Amino acid sequence: MATRAIWSNTRIQAALLLGPALVVYVVFAVFPMLDVIWLSFFKWNGLDPVKVYVGTTNYVDVFTKDPVFWVAFRNTMIWTALSVAIPPMIGLALALGLNQPIFGRNTLRAIYYLPVIIAPIAVATMWRWMYDPFFGLFGQILTSMGLQSWVKDWLGNRDIALYSAFGAYVWQSVGFSMVLFLAGLQGVNRSLVEAARIDGAGRWAIFRYVTLPALRTTLTIVLVLAIISSLKAFDIVYGLTGGGPAQSTQMLALWAFTQSMQIFDFGRGSAISVVLLGVTLTVVIPYVRWTQKREEVAE
Amino acid sequence: MTLISAASRAAMAGGLLLAGTCLSAAEDLTLWTLNFSSEASNEAFNKITAGFEAANPGVKVTIVTRGTDDHKTAIRVAAGTDKGPDIYFMWAGLGLGGEYVKAGLSLPLDKYYAEYKWDEKLVPAAASFSRIYEGGRHGVPFTFKGEALYYNKALFEKAGITGTPANYDELVADAEKLKAAGIPAITFGGTVNWHVMRLMDVILESKCGVEKHDALMNMKVDWTKEACATDSFAELDKWSKNYILSPFMGIDQAQSFNLFVAGRAAMMLEGDWLVQQLAEAGNLDDYDLFPFPTGTNRLYGFAEYHYVSTKAANPDLAAKFLDYFNSTEVQQSVLGKFSTSSINKQVVYDNLRPMDKKWLDIFNTFDKVYMNGDQAFPLDVTTEYFRVINEVASGNMAPADAATAMQTFIANKG
Repeated sequence: MATRAIWSNTRIQAALLLGPALVVYVVFAVFPMLDVIWLSFFKWNGLDPVKVYVGTTNYVDVFTKDPVFWVAFRNTMIWTALSVAIPPMIGLALALGLNQPIFGRNTLRAIYYLPVIIAPIAVATMWRWMYDPFFGLFGQILTSMGLQSWVKDWLGNRDIALYSAFGAYVWQSVGFSMVLFLAGLQGVNRSLVEAARIDGAGRWAIFRYVTLPALRTTLTIVLVLAIISSLKAFDIVYGLTGGGPAQSTQMLALWAFTQSMQIFDFGRGSAISVVLLGVTLTVVIPYVRWTQKREEVAE
Repeated sequence: MTLISAASRAAMAGGLLLAGTCLSAAEDLTLWTLNFSSEASNEAFNKITAGFEAANPGVKVTIVTRGTDDHKTAIRVAAGTDKGPDIYFMWAGLGLGGEYVKAGLSLPLDKYYAEYKWDEKLVPAAASFSRIYEGGRHGVPFTFKGEALYYNKALFEKAGITGTPANYDELVADAEKLKAAGIPAITFGGTVNWHVMRLMDVILESKCGVEKHDALMNMKVDWTKEACATDSFAELDKWSKNYILSPFMGIDQAQSFNLFVAGRAAMMLEGDWLVQQLAEAGNLDDYDLFPFPTGTNRLYGFAEYHYVSTKAANPDLAAKFLDYFNSTEVQQSVLGKFSTSSINKQVVYDNLRPMDKKWLDIFNTFDKVYMNGDQAFPLDVTTEYFRVINEVASGNMAPADAATAMQTFIANKG
């Protein structure tokens, strides 16, 4: 009897259901995160038996002596700003277009979504060959159009390499935003749209005052995911430029990896990771709270 | 059978089993190395271990292979424990192999070099790396790679170049002739940092000479106070602006090789492994090679080594295995499986291609080596070296500033 009462307790049921996931989360997410924070106060190369406590030296070195950190920081900020603006905008445009009853729209949806399921490192390899200034697709197209002077060292010129890499990222990520917006569009109340149309609202007015407000939650999700994924941008840059030329396309996540896993300075790599974590939380938490308040007000 | 005899037999069997276990544990030998790039290498390694086990009954050799990064990480993890390999693969040089030596993971092998007379068998240039570490000789060569300038004979002829340059100035003069003939002198791929680095390495050797170059790479002298360092960066700047097939910062070494084979550039600074690649991609008769004319009588190259771990249960057995591995008989039987040439100088080569023969002559001529910068420097300095070289090569940093950047980083390193 008592046993049945225990099992029928909703709190216990919740704990039992959440427990396994919580254990996995603590072991594989919380503990490593705390470990990285702890490691950022030590000097350790992975070989020495003892980690040497150095206080905030790793942070001071990263901020004042590392010739690459601020380049990586700036690039990460640029990448994030572009990621928040461009792929969601294109994704929304595609979703609006492919939400219309046009011929072959399911095929088109699949085509636009296809790059999302390709591994970023494979995308990087593909685009690296397209960017080849001698034999690449873009060079050949421009040459065949008589625009040879427009052919650039897409990944070798520090002025454009970051944006070239971003082009590949847009190609790969735009389908993800599109799918989320398409899902959001299914929740737009058709009767409201019809009512607005009967009231004489044009396409823009319907989009601005009916569709867009209905997509607010989706928009929040898309933008938060875009911010998070762009702040930790790593694989596509790694595959395309490796952070070069001359570290000019270096990103915080890639630089943290380089310090830890290639230079084997685990303390400094951890310090960069902690900075990246701080930046992410600084950007994401206020944005989420702001949007939550807006939604509460709207309700 | 009485109870006593049964018990005594059981005790004997148990004792033998225990002894066997102890013997087995004492005679186990583990070698950690990289994944081999070809099945032929795998077979050769298996053949060697099987041969050693047959010659040494009771010994079990276990080869553990991993990808490059996994291998490095595994050794680091093992360094903090009592477990780990008896022998491990690592490149030679203060930067890569040296880090593990410095951490006390490599056993000095002086007594084994003397006992097995390895110097009498090994190619001198390959064995020379074992002397660069403090505290004795470390590691035994596994492979040795030399690097030299390959050139396209037809393009040289077209530019009116009739012989190979005897010194650096003659090489620059030849590059100028090629440029005048509308031919890019050399090709590099900038995305892999180590490719353009090779040019900087050989220029430093040419402009600074042996002692200063070594002192710069060992960070014993101030880069800003050695005029040759700034001169070398200036030369790199000159090559990148005038003689390297452009653009090159956005392509990798493989793309650069394709351009070389396509006849888009006259030279390529590559290792002895390129002979086979050229044979597969084109006609070997179209190409020839010469060591970069630094004027220092040192060959540019690097070596891969097997190091005996300080944690090896039986270092004598590990050394015996390495002696077997590098013996003339074994090396003869696996010739060409790991590298173009063997690290054993007593191996006999048959039916060599002219370019292979040239490499063999080079290996037997040079007894001193200067190594690639990424294997000479510690890893963090290597990363900065790459950055500075790329900045100069892409015209974003003045040569004098490059020397300052290097020295600032080294000074900050403490």
